Parts: sequence; C-alpha cells; structure tokens
Amino acid sequence: MADDLMHAPVPGHVPADRVFAFNIYGDPRLTEDVQASYQSLHRDAPEIFYSPLNGGHWMITRYEHIFDIVKDYEHFSVREMQIPRIENPPVFIPLSLDPPTNLPYRQALMPHFSPKAVSAMEPKLRAFAADFIDEVLARGECDFVHDIAARFPVSVFMELMGMPLDRLRDFRALADDYFKARTNEEIGALGERIIGLMTELVELRQKEPADDLISKMIEFQVDGRPIALGELQSMLFVMFLGGMDTVTNVASYTYRHLAQDDALQARLAADASLIPRFVEEGIRSFGVINTPRLVVKDCERFGVQFREGDMVLCVLPLGSRDDRRFENSAEFDIDRQALTHLTFSSGPHLCLGHNLARMEIRILTEEWIKRIPRFSLKPGLRHHSRVGTVIAIESLPIQWPV
Amino acid sequence: MVWIEFVTPSGDVRRVEASEGESLMQAAVRHQVEGIEAACGGSMSCGTCHAWISEPWSAALPQPEEGERSILDFGVHIRPQSRLTCQIQVSAALDGARIEVPPSQS
Ligand code: HEM
Ligand code: FES
Repeated sequence: MADDLMHAPVPGHVPADRVFAFNIYGDPRLTEDVQASYQSLHRDAPEIFYSPLNGGHWMITRYEHIFDIVKDYEHFSVREMQIPRIENPPVFIPLSLDPPTNLPYRQALMPHFSPKAVSAMEPKLRAFAADFIDEVLARGECDFVHDIAARFPVSVFMELMGMPLDRLRDFRALADDYFKARTNEEIGALGERIIGLMTELVELRQKEPADDLISKMIEFQVDGRPIALGELQSMLFVMFLGGMDTVTNVASYTYRHLAQDDALQARLAADASLIPRFVEEGIRSFGVINTPRLVVKDCERFGVQFREGDMVLCVLPLGSRDDRRFENSAEFDIDRQALTHLTFSSGPHLCLGHNLARMEIRILTEEWIKRIPRFSLKPGLRHHSRVGTVIAIESLPIQWPV
Repeated sequence: MVWIEFVTPSGDVRRVEASEGESLMQAAVRHQVEGIEAACGGSMSCGTCHAWISEPWSAALPQPEEGERSILDFGVHIRPQSRLTCQIQVSAALDGARIEVPPSQS
C-alpha cells in the first residue's frame, strides 16, 4: 500500500494542533520494545490526536479517556472495528454488537468464563503446560513463542470447546497458519476453514452432547428462541480470534522481560506465591490490542469534537502504561499497588476471557519456574513484532543451563 | 454527603465520602478501596465489584435484578449478603453503612 493512498484529508472539525501522523501498521517510532516505544506518544504527541494515515483516525492514549470511551457505546460504537474502514464489515458476536443487542449473548457466555468455571479447568491446563515444557526441557533452548506460548492456548481452547483430541493436529496447524497469514485472501480462506471445522463440531454435539462449552452453547436461548447456527459460528470465531493469539503474545512479551531479569527469576523460584502478581504486571505492561470504535453520534469529549463517521483507536497498551495512573509506568514492578489496567479493555466488551487468560499464564509460569528457574535470551538476536490493532511478537529464542 | 465504611481484605476499615446518585462502586474506586476492582467500569460485565452488605443496610436496597443475580451465581466468596456494588446507588439510607470486601474477586 502506498502511503499517499492511505493519507486521508484531515476533516474540518479537527484542529491543526491535534494532527499528528502515526502509522499504526509500522510507525518508525515503534521498536522491538513495542509497548515501551509506544510510550513516546505520551511525551511527543498531542494528548488526543488525529492521524491522517490509514484512512484517518483519532488515537486515544490515556487511561481515563479510553476508560470513558469504551463505556460510552451510545457515541462510540463497536459496529465497525476496522482501520481503515471497509465495506460490509464482518459481524462478530458479541464483540461488534452494542448494548443492548450484545447482552443476551454476553450473558449466556459469562457463566462459562466465571472464576468458578475456569478454575474447574485448572488440572487439565496444568497437565498441558507441563507437557509442552517437558518436551523442550532437555534441549536447553527453545523458541518460546513457537514451542510454548503459541501451543498452550490452542490446547486450552480445544479443551474448553470440547474438540476431540484426534482433531488437535489439524486444528493446531490451522490456527498456526491463521495467525501467520498476511494477505486478506489467505486470512479469508483460513477463516472459512476454521468456521467449517467448528461447524462440524457443532453438528457433532447436536447429535452427541457432552460436558463442554459447544454443547452448552447449542442450548443457548436468545430472546426466547434457540440460537441460530450463524450466531454460533460467529461467537466461536470471536473466541478463536480472542482467546489464542492474545495469550500467546502477552505471555511471550512477559517472558521476554523475565528472561532479562535475573533478580525476578530468583524471586519467583524462591516464592511461587508471587506468580499471580508477576502475571498481572506482565498483562499490565504488555497489552497487545488496540481497539477501534466508530463515532455514531457527534459529541465533545475531553475538549475534542468527535463527528459521526470518525474512527477512534483506543491504544489499550498505553492506557495500561499511563504515568498519570501508574507510577513509573515503564517499570516492570510486581510489587506495585494493584490497580485495574486496560489490557482487557473495560465496559460492556471487557474481555470475556480475562479470568481464563490470567489462569493460563499463571499455570504456565508455575510449571515453567519449577523446571526452568533460570533462563536468558539467546544473545545477538532481534525480536521482530507485527503491529496494528493486534501486536504480535514473531519469535523469542531463549536458552537455559542443562 | 454520605459516609460509607469499607472493610478491606487486609482488614482495614476505610471510611469514604460518597455522593448521592453515584454508585457504591464509583465511590470505592474513587478512593481506591482495596479489592473493588470494577474491571468493566460498572457495565455489569465483570462481577469484580462484589462486596457483602449486611443488615440493616441491605434492607434499604432494592433487590438485585436478574443480570446481577446471574453474575453473582457464578462468582467466588458468594454469600446471601453478596451484591455488585456498581448496581447500588448511594443514598442517605446508606449513611454509615459498613460494607465488607471479600478476600478476592476471582
Ligand atoms: C491476555 C490475553 C487476552 C487479552 C489481552 C485479551 C484482550 C481482549 C480485549 C482488549 C477485548 C475487548 C475489546 C474491546 O473492548 O473492543 C477482548 C474481548 C474478548 N475476548 Fe479477550 N483477551 C485475552 C484472552 C482471551 C481469552 C483466553 C478468551 C477466551 C476464549 C477471550 C475471549 C474474548 C471474547 C469472547 C471477547 C469479546 C467480548 C465481548 O465483546 O463481550 N479473550 N479481549
Ligand atoms: S463493575 Fe463490572 S460488574 Fe460491577
């Protein structure tokens, strides 16, 4: 894509002092320390600014502003979540439905992601984590992204959904390809295959119900009628998109930090009860989602005029690193005062999987530290990330003494 | 002004000033009361603003609605006194109320 094609004229309601060009798909200001380098915006850019690149959109970077916008669905809608805007945007249930339309789906799903429901999965998750780590243990090295962080959430997802184990290989390969795909054609084709596979599963569970989420979802009632296949497909796809790559990347960035912090490794090895704090600080420090909203009603907020049709991007990783809320926000400090952050967003679309995600990274770390208390980055390598509305690290080669 | 006491998971008693019309959750968050996480900011999408409200204060409150009840059904540390503080409006009837924050929200 040529830059000039993406360079939209600045609309009249945007004052010149709010314009600041930033390319979310590869700005030169972003380094391999993606979240840390994003923080330069807090210093260098206007408090709320309009980037004319990628079709033109607002960028919201402060905790307090993001928090207000994601709750204010009457003005800031999830109906369109693409930057630049596209024709016929896909409908994701419940992610791209505003209240009250999202409510029946969200409320039907919530019990299955409650603290109680996810803790029932703990023993299974622990066994998965242990297996993946044991596979690499004797080698003294691995690519943490590829060998651990990308594989673990796939197994968790299959367990949650009740996917038969004989499909594990197929599904893992498909998930792998999907998250690596770059072109729209590839993404579209793989997306269809994933939906196809889930549809098979829905059909199987219609015949032979089991104790798993898909069997329960088939029974969902929406506004007093049984849920339709298309709705199920959409919900399953959102869980696929939301539940795997995110955990992979938050865990990988967190371990990239841990690999370089010997003192923290020693503390975690000596006292496993610190692990939940470590996990929370990893999630705070390494947000991986920038969530878009479409302005559907003119309004003035924080001294800025938003007009119907404007796209707004909430930079969640920056909300979680806002120094107005978090002291020494760039520091990885497991002892900091526990305050809610924005890595999981907030409001009616607060990540449905937040309890599960925390548990996954906690269990992975408990099993990891037991086996590999000391490890480091393989020297001399760079860790490239893809950036955009999703932030993803491509590899993380690490080593440990054997 | 209405005064509310929150008993935190560490056992501290935090006496905070709340305004009529805001929710108990908002008052707690404004004063950074330990244990009231309120991850969804009051959209009734998380259940992390859970607290225990006992007699006589609970008697002054409207019963929980369906949505609140269904979140509480699947929470942790749930008791008959459990409420979502984001669903409770501060009013003069709550002046002096003592509200206990459970040991964890998950
Ligand atoms: C650390 C890992 C994760 C991160 C950082 C993350 C982040 C997010 C964010 C930021 C949103 C909301 C976006 C918005 O406000 O527009 C979201 C929504 C969602 N997430 Fe997660 N997520 C993670 C893990 C998971 C897991 C494990 C699952 C479960 C399978 C999951 C399922 C979902 C679903 C279904 C939604 C849509 C919720 C709704 O619209 O009501 N996520 N996630
Ligand atoms: S703040 Fe999320 S349910 Fe009360």
